[in-house]
Amino acid sequence: MAQLINGAALSRTVSRRSFLAGTGGILAAATLAACAPGSGGSSGSAGAKTYRLLLPGDVPAQWDRISAAVNSKLKADLGFEFNPEFINWKNYASQSLLKFTAREDFQTALSARWLNIAQLIESGALQPLDDALESDKYPNLKASVDQSAFDANRWPDGSIYGIPAVNSAARIHHIVARGDLIDKHAPGGIETFDQLEKFWYDVVQKEGIPGYVKSNSVFDVLGAPTGTLYAQGWESPDFLPLYFSSDSLMFVPSRQAAATGSTDAVPFWEYEPYLESLHRIRKYYEDGIINADRLNADPATIKAQFDGGGAATCWGITDGLDTSGHLDQLEKAVPGATLVSLLPFRDGLAAKPNQTFQADNLVVVNAAAADAEAALQLLDWVSIQENHDLLQYGEEGTDWKAVGDDAYEPVGEYTNFPGYALSWRIPLERKFSRMSESEASWFEWSKDYENFTLDPFASFIPDLTEIEKEHAQITAAIAEFGNPLWAGAVDVAEGLDKLKKAVDRAGLAKVQEELNKQADAYLASQ
Amino acid sequence: MTTDLGTASENLATADTARRTRDRGSRRTWRGRDYGLVILAAPAVVLLLVFAYGPMAGLVVAFQDFNVADGVFGSPWAGLENFEFFFTSGNAGRIMWNTLFLNVLFLAATLGAGILLALMLNEIRGRVTKRFFQSVIFVPYFVSPIVVSIFLQAFLAGPGGRGGLVNDLLSMFTLPEPSWYTTPGPWPWILTVVKVWQLGGYMSVIFLAAITAIPEEVYEAGVIDGASRAQMALRITTPLLKPTAAILLVLGVGRIFYGDFGTIYAIIGDNGTLFATTDVIDTYVFRALRTFGDFGTTAAIGLFQSVVGFVLVVIATLVQRRYARETSIL
Repeated sequence: MAQLINGAALSRTVSRRSFLAGTGGILAAATLAACAPGSGGSSGSAGAKTYRLLLPGDVPAQWDRISAAVNSKLKADLGFEFNPEFINWKNYASQSLLKFTAREDFQTALSARWLNIAQLIESGALQPLDDALESDKYPNLKASVDQSAFDANRWPDGSIYGIPAVNSAARIHHIVARGDLIDKHAPGGIETFDQLEKFWYDVVQKEGIPGYVKSNSVFDVLGAPTGTLYAQGWESPDFLPLYFSSDSLMFVPSRQAAATGSTDAVPFWEYEPYLESLHRIRKYYEDGIINADRLNADPATIKAQFDGGGAATCWGITDGLDTSGHLDQLEKAVPGATLVSLLPFRDGLAAKPNQTFQADNLVVVNAAAADAEAALQLLDWVSIQENHDLLQYGEEGTDWKAVGDDAYEPVGEYTNFPGYALSWRIPLERKFSRMSESEASWFEWSKDYENFTLDPFASFIPDLTEIEKEHAQITAAIAEFGNPLWAGAVDVAEGLDKLKKAVDRAGLAKVQEELNKQADAYLASQ
Repeated sequence: MTTDLGTASENLATADTARRTRDRGSRRTWRGRDYGLVILAAPAVVLLLVFAYGPMAGLVVAFQDFNVADGVFGSPWAGLENFEFFFTSGNAGRIMWNTLFLNVLFLAATLGAGILLALMLNEIRGRVTKRFFQSVIFVPYFVSPIVVSIFLQAFLAGPGGRGGLVNDLLSMFTLPEPSWYTTPGPWPWILTVVKVWQLGGYMSVIFLAAITAIPEEVYEAGVIDGASRAQMALRITTPLLKPTAAILLVLGVGRIFYGDFGTIYAIIGDNGTLFATTDVIDTYVFRALRTFGDFGTTAAIGLFQSVVGFVLVVIATLVQRRYARETSIL
């Protein structure tokens, strides 16, 4: 074999110049290839345009199969395909904003007041939808979203900038509890906040697990109008705090504002029930009722803790996902476990909590999109029951089967499509077939606008323009001194003192004055 | 003997300096045969232009009332307004101090640990054992900050935040069990330990490479003079690592105004109780961008950070030239 090898060829040396030129050429070619258009994108099947959209969260299991099925139908119906980009929740706000800024070519995204819709509207980055909605081009969309939902989500300039993607009239923060533990420690059931509190203490003492687990949230403590740890909210859910943004300072308006026309909003610490709530959280923190890592724990860790049987209750919202979001995992960890949705209103189902009916989720259309009409066609297309079901629950038979007229039973692995960022429509949503009785009852209740009281400041959206710098600094102070208070991690008197000094220095007086001025003007205009 | 060894290392450094001076002095003119070098450098130059110099145009945002729809070229000018937010927040001094203090700690600790580990690895005789330990201490470099933060939570907070392994250990000795995630004082030191764990092995490989370049004759001279291995490590190896340490130091100083965002944010997140000692410019900018969505303000802080970083590099280089000319790289 040795003779077969060409020794002369092997021993031939490559010159330094050839080596450098060759290596450099390869690197240059690789660089050019990397910079070539289309190297980072994806293309649809032959002949069909592909439109991008932004969705929050992780890619659902089996997404490739469902996406192919959706695209096949989309192409046949509308002549184009879609290619959603999933962005992790933790980065969604900043990344979606960056993509708008970079004028990237995507059709739709999720936005809301708690994200950055104010900035996007102010900057003209969103397509106003009034003309489209007044036309007859999108009948399915108009039929599946109540006109009152559109009206409640008009911006102060009178325009509609987003399609409300909600599945109930009002989303009420509440408690998802282990039914098996309630049977054991509160056999008479839980109907009031006092009973709930006693249950938490019993569980901590007798089971050795926390009563309630959640990542940090101001709304847990200072309800709007309810908060899982805010006792007063369950007694009389009759007002909503005012704020420039939900991560900034909360203000409490006068209860007579609507009658007098004078808002007289004061910082939250001047409202006794809120102060009492802060002290209660601190006590819960010290007594081990709530998780001590609220400041650091991410939602996935908290969910895993509850689903693994490591807590008696967790947070829920009336979007019909209490049971479907936890039960399967919980049953694997704790055989025989059950779930109950708790809304311990003093007045039970007769409670009429104040609501703005502003949607938590709005699907907005990118003004820089290549084809805004296609975006609305897609929103109309997902408003058809068959298409909605395919996207939301997967392929019938493979991923789910219908139970009765309005329920579904998952039978495959496809779950967790973020319908709230595209396809949630109240009349089209199906209930989880194993939804607990309590959740079914409260979910139905939350779908009826008549069960709520329209807040006097329902469509008031304050304008930040005059106080941008002060607001930014107050928000920074809340992040530093407010968040530890919501977590119960610091002494209330000491923590509040630091917070007050920081927000005073940041310009509280100016911000408070501006809020009252705008709120008074709003009341006068009603 | 000490004097001899010291002279040997100084002679090496002097020879190196002389060679570099000679190279600088010999002016080379463009010759066609260098085209290979040009092609080889081209991708790196292109990358640098596209990703380092090109984006500098975006710094104009720091002086604009940036508007998403109008973009970089259409937004109105705002003068120095964007700089006001940071400097009037009352946090600027603390954040700059945290950035500098943490980076000095990280730089000193990782350089020190790198040299120490390199010296220790160099003393291991068995090739397999040496490679094994080298790999083991290098592995943390590849561990994601997110994973590090989970480790740390398990050690310091435990499930539900009621005490981790460290507190379990402290309780065995009836020592106080701090609530780590609400006590800001120890965090600069905790983060420094994390950085040493992450980068100690990486640094040691760089120093180990420098050690292998030390001529064997120098050690032979030490052996002839009767130096012990410890003496040779201290009197020969350590002084000859000065140029490498100097280069790493200058590079480190250049980034001293850049907080280690990845590690700090992954571990601290939005935990306001720890901001007093851990909030650095990068985490502050990220939070500002995420919560306010104000690109002008965040770009202004970033620009300030870059300018101060540049000034610090220049100062570090000048100081090095003045006091340690033989190890200066610029």
